[in-house]
Amino acid sequence: MKNPDAIVIGAGIVGATVALSLTNAGLQVLIVDRGPVSSGTTGAGEGNILVSDKEPGPELTLALRSRDLWFDLQDDVGDCFELEAKGGVVVARRDPEPLFHLAKKQEQCGVLIQKLDNYAVHELEPYIHPEIEHGILYSQDAQCQPMLAAAHVIRAVVNRGGKFIAGAEVQRILHHNGSVSGIETTQGSFSTKIVVNAAGTWAGNIAERAGSQLPIAPRKGFILVTEPVNKYIFHKVYDSDYVANVASSDADLQTSTVVEGTQSGTILIGASRQRVGFDTTMNYEIVRRLAAQATSLFPILRDVQLLRIYSGFRPYAPDHLPVIGEDAQVNGLWHSAGHEGAGIGLAPGSAQLLTDRILARDTFMDAEPFSPKRFQSSLTQLRSAI
Amino acid sequence: MKTNTYVIFNGNSIPFNEGESVAAALLRSGEESLRETRFHGKPRAIFCGIGVCFDCVVAIDGVPNQRACIIECREGMKIESRP
Amino acid sequence: MIAIIGAGPAGLAAAISAAQSGQHVLVLDSAPRMGGQFWRHRDFVKGYRSEKAVEIFESFRKSNSVSHISGASVWSVEKSQDGFLINYLKNGKEECAHCEKLIIATGGYDRALPFPGWDTPGSITAGGAQAMLKGQSLVVGEKIVVAGTGPFLLPVATGLAEAGAQIVGIYEANNPLRWALSPFALLLNLSKFGEFLHYRKLMRRHGIALHFGKIATSFVEGEVSISKVRTRSGGQIIAADAIATGWGFMPDLTIPGIVGCNQKVDRFGNVYCESNWEQRSSINNVWVAGESTGIGGADLALVEGAIAGLSATGARIELRLLLRRWRLRIFAKALQRSYPVPKNWTSWLKPETTICRCEEVPYQSIEDSIRELGAKDSRGVKLFTRCGMGLCQGRTCSRNVSEIVQQITGAEISDAERLAYSNRPVAAPIPLGILGDGKKN
Repeated sequence: MKNPDAIVIGAGIVGATVALSLTNAGLQVLIVDRGPVSSGTTGAGEGNILVSDKEPGPELTLALRSRDLWFDLQDDVGDCFELEAKGGVVVARRDPEPLFHLAKKQEQCGVLIQKLDNYAVHELEPYIHPEIEHGILYSQDAQCQPMLAAAHVIRAVVNRGGKFIAGAEVQRILHHNGSVSGIETTQGSFSTKIVVNAAGTWAGNIAERAGSQLPIAPRKGFILVTEPVNKYIFHKVYDSDYVANVASSDADLQTSTVVEGTQSGTILIGASRQRVGFDTTMNYEIVRRLAAQATSLFPILRDVQLLRIYSGFRPYAPDHLPVIGEDAQVNGLWHSAGHEGAGIGLAPGSAQLLTDRILARDTFMDAEPFSPKRFQSSLTQLRSAI
Repeated sequence: MKTNTYVIFNGNSIPFNEGESVAAALLRSGEESLRETRFHGKPRAIFCGIGVCFDCVVAIDGVPNQRACIIECREGMKIESRP
Repeated sequence: MIAIIGAGPAGLAAAISAAQSGQHVLVLDSAPRMGGQFWRHRDFVKGYRSEKAVEIFESFRKSNSVSHISGASVWSVEKSQDGFLINYLKNGKEECAHCEKLIIATGGYDRALPFPGWDTPGSITAGGAQAMLKGQSLVVGEKIVVAGTGPFLLPVATGLAEAGAQIVGIYEANNPLRWALSPFALLLNLSKFGEFLHYRKLMRRHGIALHFGKIATSFVEGEVSISKVRTRSGGQIIAADAIATGWGFMPDLTIPGIVGCNQKVDRFGNVYCESNWEQRSSINNVWVAGESTGIGGADLALVEGAIAGLSATGARIELRLLLRRWRLRIFAKALQRSYPVPKNWTSWLKPETTICRCEEVPYQSIEDSIRELGAKDSRGVKLFTRCGMGLCQGRTCSRNVSEIVQQITGAEISDAERLAYSNRPVAAPIPLGILGDGKKN
């Protein structure tokens, strides 16, 4: 496949789903990645498909659509990535009003919410701290196993005439008269008119290889994994502080409590956010903080043992919105990156949006807020942002 | 060396010698397996014997995933094959 | 203060030599008693304690400036302003020790290869059989097959026989003629030949046959299949109620990994912690000794420990120690050369053979993740199958999974992949309650 219709750079979930929607639209797609499937942020993700943590706005619209597309994706490629509509329970430890206020606004945007009183909270989550009295159930929140999802989606692309080359690092994105003409990789050159940059945290780097720029930076997070235990946690449960942290631009460390059980019996505990570049050093103080927060929410976890910790890098843009759309300078270079901690959930929606834009079809929402041009209009401003 | 100290394994009294590991006491008393695996319910006993492989894990006094090969028996300790 | 993690031969030797300076030395070890895996004898077990162990234990006890904390399970090490903080669990509580200098002597464990039935009761590692015998006076079976490779199979088999078990046979995968590759190592270490003769005598006494070039390829319902390594022919079925297998040893590099000590891969694919002539690691004020620096056995561990202890206190390191280390390292290399793991070991796996014992992942799932999902290394297999995500944190299966991937894809295992095995930020499981109650600045 020397002249594919489109080339997708990145074999994470964002790249995989774009590749599949382009393939399903009749294009012949080549996926390249410098590593194997899911070797970047997808491989360090919890598999969140959330609507609950989004403030009303374009990201929530995308999240709602994307959430439904996840179930369509399962119909398309098969029930093979542990997709589960487990639902999210967001609790307020102190004043519940901000949470209720947010939920109300979300409801107006089409989010299904259910206000939980003391009794209902404890019925849904019997092991939660007895003093927790208020919460919201978000029944649309779901979960999948993202590495399996990316792998099965790519497999579907390949079965439908596409191709995946692992270990092919993109060296240059070629363009001629301002339009993409192909790419050079460590495993050969390919001609195409459409290149999709789905390199996640490394998307800025890929943009540079086309002579363009994209202000995507890493935000580090730790996830704690416990030993396998009996089922103590039935939903994705988090503290309402989490929403504020997700939206925050603060460079300093932030932690909020996110706790959930997995099908294998382990419990995942998050979430920390830290802007420290690609630094993989372990910080045990953060680990202790996450443990303390999780055990204060679920006292039963005090006797559950921590087994491992992993860290990953969430790709984010300065305004914390994903970047989905065509490059301002290079025609035919499309970006889908910067989904921060929501890349798994937003992947199929982003794929749909980008595919519709590439094929100049009607889109299900206004894609303008995600346009890369919002950063690329002023390069000087952009440089200072990085 | 014979003592009359006992641990309780799945409800049965098992004698042990002072300083003996949980795994040793159970295997010596004739138990063939220490636990059943959590997905397929397969019997497992002792494998590495030094606390590395975690294959001999049992619940001890209600705390799951304890390594039988390195934990010493205590009088009245309650050991369960399943958490 | 100097802290030593591990109270096996290397850790004890380091403590004794460091204590000569009068500096305060703290030894932390997870076991209830000192001695490590090599000297794990219980007092009521007769006949195993070598004179060397008695001597070492005595000098250790006599060293006034040494304190030993047993039952201390180190779960993490952090850098502090002027040294290191060692966080450990003891009696269900978290404690923290502070030291300026750190000696890591965390030893090693058996390499285990999967085969049909290796996950059933009665199948045990050679080291495990030895540990149960020496530490607990428990003989793991009545009729036992001992198989795998390496000279360690001999003390295991003879020890079990002395304790009353019937040893059906020792099946050594390699041919002793491989020693012809290392004549220099043999000449330098003639005493090792004496050890062999000692075991030979015991084997004669108990009528134990030593078979070369043969392997045990399955253990199902009381029957062990034996075949020739090269041809896989000559299938022979032997009744046995237990099988002890050992394929050499691997260092546990979890603590060096947490501290950030540089690790390397040798030409046999073994990962070890880098150290200089004084046993210093790549991290300032951290020394490594014993199996962590590459598998070499107790004699070498004693020398390396002694050197590390002297270096950590700034004492002069005697030339005789350096010469002895040189000689023993040559022998250790020769052992690696003489007792390799058969390259085609994956051929005795069946689709349903368990590879990851913790997460119960069968060979078929691994093969599918490679052929169908595009896994290219042990990390990919782990993400798709959970192989290595269980309680043991891949200590048992990581390397085996890499070799399965290599066998299927034909691609060499990268050093980066091997070095990633020991990336375990949590060295020992710790309850979240204790963790959360711990210091937070």
